Amino acid sequence: MTDTVLSLRKATKLYAGVPAIEGVDFDLRRGEIHALVGENGAGKSTLTKVMAGVVTLTSGDMTVDGAAVAPRTPLEARNLGIAMVFQENSLVPTMTVAQNLVLGQEKFYNRLRGIYIAAQQFLQSLNFDVTPTATVGALGAAKKQMVEIARAVLHKAKVIIFDEPTASLTPEEKKYFFDLVRDLKKRGVSIVFISHALEEALLLADRITVLRDGKHVVTDDAAKFDRAAIVQAMVGRDLSNTLYGVRKNSVRPAGARVLTVQNLKMAPMVKNNSLSVFAGQITGVFGLVGAGRTETFKIVSGVLKRDFFHGGEIMLHDKPVRYRVPAPAVKAGIAYVTEDRKVEGFFETSSIARNIYLGLLSKFPRGRMMLSRRETNAVGKTWIERLKVRAIGDEAKVVELSGGNQQKVVIAKSLVQEPDLIIFDEPTRGVDVGAIVEIHELINQLADEGKAVVVISSYLPEIMALSDRILVSRQGKVVEEFSALEATEEKIMYAAIH
Amino acid sequence: MIAAVREFTNRFLGRGEATITVPSFDGALKPNQRLEQAVTLLECEAPEDLATDGRTLYLADGRRLLRLDGGTATEIRSFEQPITALCMLANGGIAVALAGREVRLFADPAAGEPTVTFADAAFNAINALTPASDGALIATDGSVTCGTDDWARDLMELNRGGRVFRLEPRTRSITPLASKLGYAFGACAHGDGVLVSESWRHRLVLVRDAHAPQVVLAHLPVYPSRLSKAAGGGYWLTAFTARTQLIEFVLREPAYRRRMMAEIDPAYWVAPRLRSGFSFKEPMQGAHIKTMGVIKPWAPPRSYGLVIRLGEDGKPLYSLHSRVDGVNHGVVAAIEVGSDLVLIAKGPGRVLKLPLAGLAEEFGA
Repeated sequence: MTDTVLSLRKATKLYAGVPAIEGVDFDLRRGEIHALVGENGAGKSTLTKVMAGVVTLTSGDMTVDGAAVAPRTPLEARNLGIAMVFQENSLVPTMTVAQNLVLGQEKFYNRLRGIYIAAQQFLQSLNFDVTPTATVGALGAAKKQMVEIARAVLHKAKVIIFDEPTASLTPEEKKYFFDLVRDLKKRGVSIVFISHALEEALLLADRITVLRDGKHVVTDDAAKFDRAAIVQAMVGRDLSNTLYGVRKNSVRPAGARVLTVQNLKMAPMVKNNSLSVFAGQITGVFGLVGAGRTETFKIVSGVLKRDFFHGGEIMLHDKPVRYRVPAPAVKAGIAYVTEDRKVEGFFETSSIARNIYLGLLSKFPRGRMMLSRRETNAVGKTWIERLKVRAIGDEAKVVELSGGNQQKVVIAKSLVQEPDLIIFDEPTRGVDVGAIVEIHELINQLADEGKAVVVISSYLPEIMALSDRILVSRQGKVVEEFSALEATEEKIMYAAIH
Repeated sequence: MIAAVREFTNRFLGRGEATITVPSFDGALKPNQRLEQAVTLLECEAPEDLATDGRTLYLADGRRLLRLDGGTATEIRSFEQPITALCMLANGGIAVALAGREVRLFADPAAGEPTVTFADAAFNAINALTPASDGALIATDGSVTCGTDDWARDLMELNRGGRVFRLEPRTRSITPLASKLGYAFGACAHGDGVLVSESWRHRLVLVRDAHAPQVVLAHLPVYPSRLSKAAGGGYWLTAFTARTQLIEFVLREPAYRRRMMAEIDPAYWVAPRLRSGFSFKEPMQGAHIKTMGVIKPWAPPRSYGLVIRLGEDGKPLYSLHSRVDGVNHGVVAAIEVGSDLVLIAKGPGRVLKLPLAGLAEEFGA
């Protein structure tokens, strides 16, 4: 038996021809804690999903204990001893802890009392303070994670993969989680964990692998890294070779203050967050997953609600506002272009024109009983031409469009509302190269017209190419502001993780 | 009835008037430590205000009127009461406010007797003087009840007794221009009106005869104070300290404030200060938060230093700061003299000088 429990050679995974990971070599030793770090989109999640059988490799080899394997489902991976604890946990919230533990391994006849007793004994053996009869939906994030870990151990996993395990944990819970992971290591279990918190990687891991743009950059002992070295490895791309070109040498002057967010709170994601957005400028908001960027601007646009008690204050044009649903925010001139267009952005089986016209409906003061097909088509045609949406015929459904053109439809749906403040959340996620350039041109044009534009992005080159001022968010609040002229990738990333 | 229910609900939920929030220092107000790099021209006991005729710089230091030549101060004269405001007149004369209750105009800074004295019974805390566009003098009076040195009490009592007066030297008449302001502290002529700082409402308003004050700049994260004209157009606005959520909270707790004012030495109130870190008795020094199992010391700032460069429209262009770990706090006056900006950091008792060349370029304004 070799010291390496799992290895990947030349691992490549393509999504619609676009590589998520490309030629990645990875080794996991027995009983080691191995941290995977990299920017959003670096390929960390894809790599771990390959190991866990969630996705299959397009090319490359995977071995477990020296034997070639190719798990096609999580069940196959679990039978090989590989379990994955997802960021959004995979437990059934309406079932009890004990039922979740034995889910998928039920016998022909299951005696509930017996399951509870066995679960109690098992949880005690792990020193997990979780009641087996409790409903999972009623548990906190840390306890849910314990159940996930317990399930992995119960299934005799020799490799456990954690995706952002500490994102939703309190500091005390994190400390407890670290103890758990160290205990698992003592039991000979190998751990792979993805984390954006570099101090966690340095504190916990035996080895660290850095990925960048889907490629393997470096793997070495954690002791040989420091924060600066990891940040350099994470962002060390040559900007001149990227799609976004050279950095800005001038910025737009700030106009009137359009949006003021003061001490905004929405537990646990937004913590006392304060920021301003000015007209005629692009304000870039950078942060790693869990930094509370999206949630902050969803509260601004009425998609989410702030805390009921002492939730802070939002001012639009220096007047306090509180939107409980998006419609009044749209009427007040706020447009939010969602990061998850497939779920929140459009009706995929409706035509482009209908989707765009939907955006306009919320601007009408009392709604509309009857819709004019002619007006719908006219509005749709105008925006299809303006944003150069490429589709086969005017009646094409949104589902038939490419990612880039779908994104243009979502943007058109917001711009048709003629907003003063436009919030783009990950505007080029899953968008083809040509469309990225066009979307960026559009965003710049909006700022030139005097609109207040916010661009939330996890991709540093995009933030640096677009923004006039850059806000860096960490742990639910803006922690640093840079002018585009003074910002460097290293400075921004340093602020995002320290 | 509805207003009472709304007030109760707001207090219960922390909304509306009961919101304990503070705007952030961002955009043009993004923090830096530029004031810490300023050259100290002079250290004195009680610097209060500056005035210049373009060539000579005058400084009010307690009861003394000083002339500053570089780092050398020469006493021109002294008064029987402390000077609370200073201003040069178009005819080469000087206007001096004494103890906030009297304004004297002199033909020149060394002249023996005043040409005009304004001593209206309504005056209580005259804290800034500025020439109006038509040769008259504009005076801001912070409070009806508290003196210029007792401004913290005025804040803690939530007083709104600030006033703006127009003093006409030719007719020796006094005309009130505005009243019920949240501590008027600083003014500067702007078109046909006067820009006035309202410290307790954290805003600048445009005051014009027969018009209600019009808000020009609101929701500042600081307590604004005196204004002066900038040579390139626009204004310099000083701010004597920054707002904090702690103070905002205290301002919404009347019982706490009453007891604090009755029982505690004003130097140790939970209130904004012009300087801090001078005594172990200062409140909230021992606060801490626990992160990743490690106790980290933390305390809300008690003092701050800030000057804001405003454009002609009154909007901020950039700002010069002395942050919590700095010394040059409590900035109450800033004035351009030649190619320099001269400031008073009242906290440490310093007169500071900062070269103007390159400042706008440095901050991308």
